[in-house]
Amino acid sequence: MRLSVAAAISHGRVYRRFGLSPRSRLDLLRNLVTALVRHERIETPWARADEMRGYAERLIDYAKRGDKDERAMRLADFWLTEKDLIHKLFKVLAPRFQPHAGSYTRLLQIPNRDGLDRAKMAVIELKGNPLPPLVRPRRDSDKTLLNQLLKGYRQNAQRAA
Amino acid sequence: VLVLVQPVLPRLRALLQRCWGRLERSLWPDVFGGQSLSWGPALAVHGPALVPRGINEAGESSAEVPSLLESIVWMAAPKHRRTIEVNRCRRRNPSKLIEIKRNIDVCPECGNLKQKHVLCGYCYAKVKEETRLIRMEIHKREGGPFNAPTVETVVLYEGEKPTEKDEGKRIIERARKRPSWFVQN
Repeated sequence: MRLSVAAAISHGRVYRRFGLSPRSRLDLLRNLVTALVRHERIETPWARADEMRGYAERLIDYAKRGDKDERAMRLADFWLTEKDLIHKLFKVLAPRFQPHAGSYTRLLQIPNRDGLDRAKMAVIELKGNPLPPLVRPRRDSDKTLLNQLLKGYRQNAQRAA
Repeated sequence: VLVLVQPVLPRLRALLQRCWGRLERSLWPDVFGGQSLSWGPALAVHGPALVPRGINEAGESSAEVPSLLESIVWMAAPKHRRTIEVNRCRRRNPSKLIEIKRNIDVCPECGNLKQKHVLCGYCYAKVKEETRLIRMEIHKREGGPFNAPTVETVVLYEGEKPTEKDEGKRIIERARKRPSWFVQN
């Protein structure tokens, strides 16, 4: 029975490879998490944003435990390279996301980068940020058949009541 | 294998003797004047011996690769011309054509084209520019690096007052009218 997987097969591996080494990958993602916490909306290649999303949301989950928690403070100290952001994380982001159960970030794809590489780019933002919204929620027009029928039904119900 | 072959034809031998003599005189001038050296001119042939094919080829060095020997590398080459019909079948096979995209739509806000799963480029550029200006204001307010505030932020445009929901938030002023797509909540 084979107990180890051959090096060239990557079935089931979920972490992407970035940078020069695993440590370099973590440093890259750490910079991105710091930038996200500072600016609340960043534009980066889609693969990096997707990879970073999990780390950012887990960091916020730990921050929701409160800053007295030893584990949360050590994680925030590692992941945020700019130390004034630790205060922002525990005092601004944790209360903002306290009512939410998860999914504190929004990942949207944007047109490919303009340079020679035409890379697939994405913009990742924290929900509830003060910046202008990227996508306006559209409601169906009132003039569609279904909406008109529903309006008529509601009016009938009101008249009967 | 190096084989020394004395040519049988006298003319060939005479020619080679003269050539050899000239060569030796140029290479070893001090030896000139001595008798013709004991070893006569001869053909050095690489490989199995060749019968000299005639006087015309006497001067040529036979160091060129003789045909039909083991030292040649055989390479693949097309035997027949591919007709234009066969070429067309290969070039126009669906796997080689560019796929047509069916996920292009019109953005309902600005009317530009966009892919269904991607944000509209024009609208995103608009939002990006406004974000940049807001961040410039934030930078002016913070004054330097590493001054992230410990309170929320709210952006107010010309003529707007902070509501009771904006209690305790840092206010960033933008000196323009509120754009229609940035709804205040």
